[in-house]
Amino acid sequence: MKLFVKIFLWFLAAVGLMIAVMMFVTRTFQTEPMTSRFERNTKNQLTVYGGTATQIVNAEGEAGLRTFLNRLKDLEPPRQVSLVSSDGNVWSGDAVDEVAESIVSRTLASGQVETDFSNEDRTLGAATVNFPDGRKLALVFQWERQAPPSLFWGSNAAYGRLIGLLLTAVVLCYLLALYLTSPIRKLREATNTLADGALGTRVIPRLRRRRDEIGDLARDFDVMAERIEHLIVTQQRLNSDISHELRSPLARMTVALEIAKKKANLETLPILERIENEAQRLNDMIGRLLTLARLESGAEEVERKRIDLAEIVKDVAADADFEAQAKGKFVELSSVDSCPVMGSENLLRSAVENVLRNAVRYTKERTAVDVSLKRQNGHAILRISDHGGGVPPDEIANLFRPFYRVGEARERKTGGTGLGLAIAERAVKAHKGTISAQNYNGGLLIEIGLDTIKK
Amino acid sequence: MLGGVDKILIIDDDEELCELVSEYLTVEGFDISCVNDGASGLERALTGEYDMAILDVMLPKMNGFDVLRNLREQSKLPVIMLTARGDDMERIVGLEIGADDYLPKPFNPRELAARLRAILRRTSTTENGPDGKEKLDVDGIQISPASRIATLDGVELNLTSVEFGLLFELLKEAGKIVKKEDLSETVLERKLSPYDRSLDMHISNLRKKLGDRVDGTERIKTIRSVGYIYTLV
Repeated sequence: MKLFVKIFLWFLAAVGLMIAVMMFVTRTFQTEPMTSRFERNTKNQLTVYGGTATQIVNAEGEAGLRTFLNRLKDLEPPRQVSLVSSDGNVWSGDAVDEVAESIVSRTLASGQVETDFSNEDRTLGAATVNFPDGRKLALVFQWERQAPPSLFWGSNAAYGRLIGLLLTAVVLCYLLALYLTSPIRKLREATNTLADGALGTRVIPRLRRRRDEIGDLARDFDVMAERIEHLIVTQQRLNSDISHELRSPLARMTVALEIAKKKANLETLPILERIENEAQRLNDMIGRLLTLARLESGAEEVERKRIDLAEIVKDVAADADFEAQAKGKFVELSSVDSCPVMGSENLLRSAVENVLRNAVRYTKERTAVDVSLKRQNGHAILRISDHGGGVPPDEIANLFRPFYRVGEARERKTGGTGLGLAIAERAVKAHKGTISAQNYNGGLLIEIGLDTIKK
Repeated sequence: MLGGVDKILIIDDDEELCELVSEYLTVEGFDISCVNDGASGLERALTGEYDMAILDVMLPKMNGFDVLRNLREQSKLPVIMLTARGDDMERIVGLEIGADDYLPKPFNPRELAARLRAILRRTSTTENGPDGKEKLDVDGIQISPASRIATLDGVELNLTSVEFGLLFELLKEAGKIVKKEDLSETVLERKLSPYDRSLDMHISNLRKKLGDRVDGTERIKTIRSVGYIYTLV
């Protein structure tokens, strides 16, 4: 699961749990005591009112009692006050309903204060009033419910508050998760672009304001990137500089050699020719090193032109076949689909040429190098396979490294520069393509994949 | 050309290389002068004393491309560019701005001498007269080997000697395929070797200079791995 989702869900779960605990605690330790205190107060009040009413009716008679009852009615909070006889007749005040009547009968039966808190909107209570003539009437109070409302439970407003709280929690958790993971995402993107060869990638400009551990990580990342860039650029520049510098003496040597050859006799001529061969080899190697250095530095903008890979493959295969036949080998073009791609004709040509010439070099005499170019699902797949015995499986991954030699003797004898596949790889990568090697049918199979464009 | 000896100007900052090349080419019968920087190279090239220039790309003061660009504004002096090996861009740019040929450095002086002679032969035959080659007038293009002038709809085309030669050969056989091998031998005066793309580059520059026809059809078509054809409508 994504870190973002994880953090988000964990925080949400934590907040949800806290809300639940809070609600439970409020209910148990706050709402409940308040309710019971309210009930106790109500009972006490009723007892006092009942006693007072009894005293007044005894001292001042019924008229006094009515005045007292009217005064009670006007008190806050608003209430209804009635004096009801056991048979349900209202002696004074408002009419009563059935629930109130049942309280009346219970009070008159027990002589105690009776209450009913079951209704949410109304608190009901009754106390006995003893008349001087021995009659017992019930003083009935009806208040609007005064119990403290639950904050998050029990009413529409409370549910609204609860949902509001949960939504706020979701939003905050989302923002928090975003805050924590977005710099990690940026770091990851930066790591990827750096790995793709954009050595100038830095994260600090994007995470400038972070002063926390992630900010430290970003700064460390940049220090590392700086160092890697420096190392690689130095190495590339060195490659390029060395090659350029080697070119000058080599150019002079080639000319001097030719002058020497003119003055040579039969004895020295073969040796001079040998020197010429070696100079030519050095020359090739320097040329390839320069190409490689340029490709690696990315200095050469890959030109984006519409080209048909099939035509390049046909061209190069024809040239390679010509070259191969001189050594008793062949290049067989089994199938060639038209594959329009965007890119640089020169780079792609050099990629195909390098792979193909490499295959021709290694395939055994009287065997063929098979070439096929197929178009599948928007990809051009070029397969070039030789019959040269393949390479040990654990060395395949290293084939595209410059100067990597599979089996010392083999490469030297066949006169490769050890740069062909490296150049091909860089050229293909510059087109966002793929290149891979595997052993296949007693030889090495190199597969190049490129995205095709619509006709 | 004085007294039958071709005067060649080498513009290259490598003095030792200049010396060696001079020694070699002098034996081959050329008259060689060397200049070591771009600015004075241009100055000397513009004097009109020389039959040809060999121009290095990497030069102090003014690089080879700038020298060539300035030179082409006033002079048709044939130029061979010495480009860095493995740098396709250099040779493409060189040919585009009007080099007659290019040679990757390090080069074999034998090859250099052969190229010099090929280009000199092309330019001098025209000075010596028609040489059996007649004017052609095909598809709005008039080409006169005698004066080495090619015009398209009356406007002069600024062609290098190689481009001129290629156009002439293609027009001579207009409507028919001309093989790469034949073009290489008659125009570049060397055998076509595998992986050699110089012919394609020259043709590509020639195409750019000619442009397409008004109706958008290509004048010169490539017949893959065979050759080229000047199409007729």
